[in-house]
Amino acid sequence: MVLALALTGCSSSTTTSGSASAAPAITADTGKPITVWVDSDRAAASDAYKAAFPNDPVTVETYDGGANGSGTFRTKIQLFDTSGSGWPDVVFSTQNNDAAWASQGSNGKQAYAAVLNSGLIPDATISGFAKGALDPCTVDGKVYCLRNDLAQDVVWYNKTLMDQFGYKVPTTWEEYQALGDKLATEHPGYIIGAQGDPWTPEIYMWSSKCQANGITGATAVTVKTDSTECKRAASLLDDLRANKTVPNVSVFSPEFVTNYTGKVLMMPGPAWYGGALFQNTASVNVPAGQMAIAAPLPWKGEDAVTGDVGGATWFISSHSANPGLAAKFAEFVTTADAYQVDKAPGYPAFSAAATKWLAKQAASNYYATDMSALTTAGGEIWSGWGSGISSQEAIWAKTMTPGITAGKNLVDLLPDWQKAISDQYQVDGYTVN
Amino acid sequence: MSTVANRTGTSLRASLTGWSVRGILGVVLLVSVLFFGVPLLWLVLATTKSGHALSVNNPFSIGTVHDFAFNWSQLFDFQDGAVGTWIKNSAIYSVGALVITLVISIPAGYALALTEFRFRRALLVVTLVVMLIPNTALVLPIFLELNVVHLIGSPLSVILPMSFYPFGVYLTYIYFSTSIPRDLLAAARMDGCSEFQVFTRVAMPLATPVIALVGFFNFVQNWNNFFLPFVMLPSSKGYPIQVGLTALLASTPSFNPSSAGAQSIQLPTLALATMVSVLPVLLVFLFSQRFLIRGMTAGGIKE
Amino acid sequence: MKSNTSDGSSVGAGFLRRRSALADSPKRRMAPSAMSYAFVGPYLLFTIAFGLGPALYALYLGFTKRDGSGFAGFANFTHVMKDFRFVPAVEHVGFFVGIWLVALIILVTFFSLLVHSIGANRVRTSLRTIYYLPGALAGASSVMLWLFLLDPTASPANFLLRAMGMDSFNQVVVPSHMPVIFAIIAFWAGAGGWIVIMYGALNNISQEIMEAARIDGAGPLQLALRIQIPMIRKWITYMVIMSLAAGVQLFVEPQFLSQATQGSIPNDYSLNQLAYQYAFKQNDFHGASAISLLLLIVALSLSAIFVARGGLFDKE
Repeated sequence: MVLALALTGCSSSTTTSGSASAAPAITADTGKPITVWVDSDRAAASDAYKAAFPNDPVTVETYDGGANGSGTFRTKIQLFDTSGSGWPDVVFSTQNNDAAWASQGSNGKQAYAAVLNSGLIPDATISGFAKGALDPCTVDGKVYCLRNDLAQDVVWYNKTLMDQFGYKVPTTWEEYQALGDKLATEHPGYIIGAQGDPWTPEIYMWSSKCQANGITGATAVTVKTDSTECKRAASLLDDLRANKTVPNVSVFSPEFVTNYTGKVLMMPGPAWYGGALFQNTASVNVPAGQMAIAAPLPWKGEDAVTGDVGGATWFISSHSANPGLAAKFAEFVTTADAYQVDKAPGYPAFSAAATKWLAKQAASNYYATDMSALTTAGGEIWSGWGSGISSQEAIWAKTMTPGITAGKNLVDLLPDWQKAISDQYQVDGYTVN
Repeated sequence: MSTVANRTGTSLRASLTGWSVRGILGVVLLVSVLFFGVPLLWLVLATTKSGHALSVNNPFSIGTVHDFAFNWSQLFDFQDGAVGTWIKNSAIYSVGALVITLVISIPAGYALALTEFRFRRALLVVTLVVMLIPNTALVLPIFLELNVVHLIGSPLSVILPMSFYPFGVYLTYIYFSTSIPRDLLAAARMDGCSEFQVFTRVAMPLATPVIALVGFFNFVQNWNNFFLPFVMLPSSKGYPIQVGLTALLASTPSFNPSSAGAQSIQLPTLALATMVSVLPVLLVFLFSQRFLIRGMTAGGIKE
Repeated sequence: MKSNTSDGSSVGAGFLRRRSALADSPKRRMAPSAMSYAFVGPYLLFTIAFGLGPALYALYLGFTKRDGSGFAGFANFTHVMKDFRFVPAVEHVGFFVGIWLVALIILVTFFSLLVHSIGANRVRTSLRTIYYLPGALAGASSVMLWLFLLDPTASPANFLLRAMGMDSFNQVVVPSHMPVIFAIIAFWAGAGGWIVIMYGALNNISQEIMEAARIDGAGPLQLALRIQIPMIRKWITYMVIMSLAAGVQLFVEPQFLSQATQGSIPNDYSLNQLAYQYAFKQNDFHGASAISLLLLIVALSLSAIFVARGGLFDKE
């Protein structure tokens, strides 16, 4: 209960509970069929919907979810815009920067995303999302998408291993780095993070207040990667990559599972790492009672801030022939217990669902500590990193990952990164400072 | 042909004296056979294994019927049977375009070879030039063009462009110019056949080999086409199987690691998808290879 | 992109040599009739609709301004060429095509000669079939198959990958390996068709010439270098032209690899992908047309060279 209170504490408007259970009250829809796009992970969400409303005319199609900034969502929608038909009614996107284009009509065409907060989705539901959760969906006060989950970065650690090695959980990034150096000599083979994924900057750079993605207007961005803030994070990653405690490996790769099962001492990363990595038999599958969660780390002498990795979004088409059913679907998958509490691996963005999700996690006794760090982190996301139209993940994957794979240092690659970000934003029509 | 080749072979072989040279060449040949042959063999075997067996067992061991059945059902259950739809789409697009191609190309090749009309030479030159342009080069302009007539998303948006097959016209043209005795056509005309009857009763029956050849090449190209349907048919329900493979790939955790969800496709299932996606073409390749190779080496065979 | 070798454009080589397209005489050709026009009409219509029409439309778009306000000169072209993604895309495609062509020229010639020199008929036939069969897997399917072969956890050749120090898929598919990988995939699927064609061409070399050379004391190497290779040079030229035209269109291979590498192979890796991004991400069909035109010019000038020097194919 303390947890639930702590959670509602960060959102003044979560008092409107019950919309989660309100959705199933709607009867079967017999109108025009709708098409829904999900990635293969979120097929669980559409399956939950179909189980709840087996008679609704919903067709589900799987696509790549726009993962790693592939841009599939956007290119396909613009293709439909050009041909004037064929839009899917509801789309799931793993990225949280899609509102930037989906809210804008291109070449005089109608914007793809429907405005959700002018009647399509009840106000009670909109206001039921955690504070700030809909910021990436909001353009000029209009809400264009619903958040699937919150992806604030926290510090995951293995309490059992920490105790066994006699280490203390670090409280600053400097201590974190020192711990890595110590671990490398005392217990080689163990790791305290990973830096092989495209969202690496959203964990380490964002939380260091590196101004790589400073959205300052509708089409204006400030990019400054030669700051101390960027350099200290880059140099931390370089150091810990060199001593192999934060290796250049993707947490979803087979070799991560092979080499690091039982060897993850710490792992800064988003809320969904819990369900996707540690409590997942297909991944490193840490036994119950070992993993623990700590609040985001500050740099010495500063306040702790953190980043955010995705926290996917659901869009409704403004072209939908059956907006009622589309809205019902989107509302269900973001708020209903049947998916967000029972199935979803990540921290629900909808506060009432989050409360139950946390309670369920706590009841499972999987984690060795309470989960308050998640709530703390939710309020510490640094706002200097925006959600512009260009995908930071795609840029990192294209520019930085090959660089470090080839043995270069991130510190030396920062100017390349600066140029890659600036170039991409310019191509996408932004003014870069 | 074979005696000629044998003679060449024998004398060449006789002069290849050193065992070492022969040994090296033998090894090189073996390597080339492995390079070209092993991937296909491995693919067939992979479809019969479980995901675990694929990475643990000997690559050339045979799996079980049970695992094959599991892969089969996983593949065809994907997205409520989407794979079946994609294969059906591929068949409709390929065969549809094939039929139109033959209806258009054979008479055109005939007319170019055996009749006279204005701009005949111009049309021949255009055919030659366009024939050498890769079919991906014009996809974006064709998209814009078909968009004007609101055909995007319709099967016609791929069937019509694929039915423009200048190479088929050219092949038919060459065939009719060289292999049909004109006296035969003249005789038919003397017998009172109309021009149309000359074509249907005399020329067509004689042209069966070239019709088959054009049909085969066109079918293979249609079936394997990716970029055109990728652009023209953006919704899943319109995909041909080649484009559908991208959706399967996106659901395979090993190649799109961030997907580990309920719709996940295991590696052997993806191998089966690859196999299924080429099966019609592979069968044609296997069962008509003699005919095809003869067609392809035609240039080299003395008349 | 390499579909051209497995479809039959390559067959043209065989047919082309029989008779030059433009050198045929109109003798005993029947007089123009309504029938001729009826026979050729549909084809003419399709040629205009899907050959000339789109090319002219691309030309129009490429030279008009994005806001539709008239003639743009070369502005669209300079715009895309200045794009920071343009030069890398040209390099990517260039490296790939370069490696692929060299491999084709050397290995296809070599294996054609080698197979041709084998005495046993059955061995020759089997070899041709084995080389030729991968041609059934063009485009997407061949890339899929090679994703497996390049993944050390599943590959039947994982010992080779490991011997080269690559233990994981991610170490195999780094961007610097891509041109080689694409070249291997394209070679695997396409080389067989060309070997079959070259083999046919070798069969065609007159025995008198070969015998005469042999009597002069030429060994197999001299025979190959002095007689056989010069005699099949025109097919090699044809292969190079066709492969070059197809290779610059690279699209499906990097498209798949992009998905399989979490984006380390970007979705603007090749020129055709960049054109797609221009069209459907930036909504700039004028820029996309400019890229399409650049690619079209490459293909057109190559085919023009081929047609202009068509005489190459009607000697003997």
